[in-house]
Amino acid sequence: MYEKDKPANIKRAQESWEEKNIKQFENERKKEFLTESGIPLKRVYTPLDLADKGFDYLKDVNFPGEFPYVSGITPTMYRSQMWGITQYTGYPTPKESNEWWKIQIKAGAPFIVVAYDLPSQLGFDPDRALSQGEVGRVGVSMVSQKDWEVAFDGIDLGKVMVSQVYNAPAMVGVANYLCFAEKQGVNFNDLKGFCQNDILKEFIARGMFIFPPVPSIRLVVDLVSYCAKHVPQYLPLQVCSYHLSEKGANPVHEAAFSLSNAFAYFEAAQERGIDIDLFAPGIILLGTCNHAHFFEEIAKHRAMRKIYAEVLKERFKAKKSESQALKFFSGNGGVSLYQEQYLNNIVRNTVGALVGALSGIQYVNVRGYDEAFGIATNEALLTSIRTVQVVGYETGVMDVIDPLAGSYYVESLTKELEERIWKELKNIDDRGGALKCIETGYFQRKIAEDAYKWQKDFESGIKARVGVNCYRSEIEERPVKIYRCSPKVEEERISDIRELKRKRDNKKVKKAIDEIRATASAEATGSNNLMPPVMEAVKAYATTGEICDALREVWGEYTEISVF
Amino acid sequence: MKSTQEERRPIRVLLTKLGLDSHDRGVIIVAMALRDAGMEVIYLGRRKTPEEIVTAAIQEGVDVVGLSSLADAHNVLAPKVIKLFKERGIEKELVILGGFVQKEDIPQLKEVGIAEVFGPGTKMEEIIHFIEENVS
Repeated sequence: MYEKDKPANIKRAQESWEEKNIKQFENERKKEFLTESGIPLKRVYTPLDLADKGFDYLKDVNFPGEFPYVSGITPTMYRSQMWGITQYTGYPTPKESNEWWKIQIKAGAPFIVVAYDLPSQLGFDPDRALSQGEVGRVGVSMVSQKDWEVAFDGIDLGKVMVSQVYNAPAMVGVANYLCFAEKQGVNFNDLKGFCQNDILKEFIARGMFIFPPVPSIRLVVDLVSYCAKHVPQYLPLQVCSYHLSEKGANPVHEAAFSLSNAFAYFEAAQERGIDIDLFAPGIILLGTCNHAHFFEEIAKHRAMRKIYAEVLKERFKAKKSESQALKFFSGNGGVSLYQEQYLNNIVRNTVGALVGALSGIQYVNVRGYDEAFGIATNEALLTSIRTVQVVGYETGVMDVIDPLAGSYYVESLTKELEERIWKELKNIDDRGGALKCIETGYFQRKIAEDAYKWQKDFESGIKARVGVNCYRSEIEERPVKIYRCSPKVEEERISDIRELKRKRDNKKVKKAIDEIRATASAEATGSNNLMPPVMEAVKAYATTGEICDALREVWGEYTEISVF
Repeated sequence: MKSTQEERRPIRVLLTKLGLDSHDRGVIIVAMALRDAGMEVIYLGRRKTPEEIVTAAIQEGVDVVGLSSLADAHNVLAPKVIKLFKERGIEKELVILGGFVQKEDIPQLKEVGIAEVFGPGTKMEEIIHFIEENVS
């Protein structure tokens, strides 16, 4: 085709086609067709667009497993290993979570992603005044090794992957995980879980920060370097673009801001003399695969893999392919789902899963169809697992690697996104890097502007959502069952924690907490790692609240700057 | 002339997150929309306790307090805000609640004094209209 259709011939044919149909073009549905990032889309894409963009297969795509890993991070991708399927869940108590997790494992998704409640995420034990009304509401209340013994009873950490959506106290979560794995007799070399541990996006979007940025980054680097040495297959840092998207960032901002966060962690690690090829393989990107805008989401994953590989190789001098190849764990966002005609969310989830499959992601998570009403019910979670299984096992879309490669449109869009993300990355560098952009509120402001624009487009109907702002139903449909945390959970959890604090060896706890305080007070170096004393503390049944309080005493707390 | 100017004093609104919940996409959008509608908006930010909110509202002399809650703590924390206003002798403050609130909770929230609850799917103009209609 390439050989036969010379660009000049195509150009002539296109001009005459346009001339012939000029009247019909005037009747198109919209004056302009834009992606979520505002990229204007042409009517049709041809080899001319690839020529315009200087498309070069070996440079821009290349074979799977080869630099810059655009078509895939391994030579065989899903032909040898299907994606990992998971669900993000946590019911109010460790016991109730344990019951669901066992159902999930049986359903063929032996990969747990722990959703913690807000007090646990902020390092407040259930008995703190600030925890009042919040215990167990949006996830599991889990703050000690005792809770882990209940939550993971009968779940073999050597066989089941466990990921924790845990950030400011990430180290405490991983310490508890390792401590429990040790109790089960699992060799650390066999542990394959993740921890989110991405504090920078907490400052930008998600809001679950505790300590100021500098000591927060120290915790991240300490945890990643500890795991690189002691738990080689574990991924101790998920750099998240997902929450930026959920907060409203358009795909270009989502990609650029999250990549710059990743680069900030690498810089911090290098400043402490930690080898990039030891550090970088432990990182995975938590991305978004929303149903809207389908092709842009796929192109975004491809462009991000390219940029990441180039930066790791050229700027950070990473040599290993495991360091350069960007792994993805992507899912669609709760924001993409609606209460109105809620069963339509299953369709949105399906399309989202398809986006993920066509993007070459390693792990997938779609949301519960009833999530717009509360914590997803078991039924909705099972349907989500089945949704990704249908996409994975029934459609055949995973039989060929990077099936959209070479599409005039998808390659043009990938190049266009790549250019725009690079431009934003340079802008971030000019502003002094990710940390500066957080401190000045640049990221937060840009995302707020994107979100406001999106809302206006949604309310005016430019962005259509079926059943929500068009094709609405007269009858309000609600799920028969909506999950709700019982208000009694709070009292139960308070009494559990008080009992634990009475029964454990409090001398041992005090000694361990003192050690944490001393290590945190000393300068961060390549060898002064906080993880060993935190491990000792959780073994002694110290709570997350107690460990975080000790760190608060040394480092203080972060006060958010106002971006409005 | 003077009275016309007084009538035109912009409505002052304090918006804030309530409790530990950090989902602030919605409340920031509302802040921008109210500002564009000509209101003076003070956004207090995240992790605010009922005590902090009421103190700030009184100091700032606002006409409206908008609470944002998406993590199911509203039944405990929103009535506390109303109670604290009453304890400080302020009965007429217009307190509205936005975010994720279960439908069955709305009657009891209104009974304790929340003027209106704006759930998912609320249009920005509905909130603007409600505030303009209800600020005396």
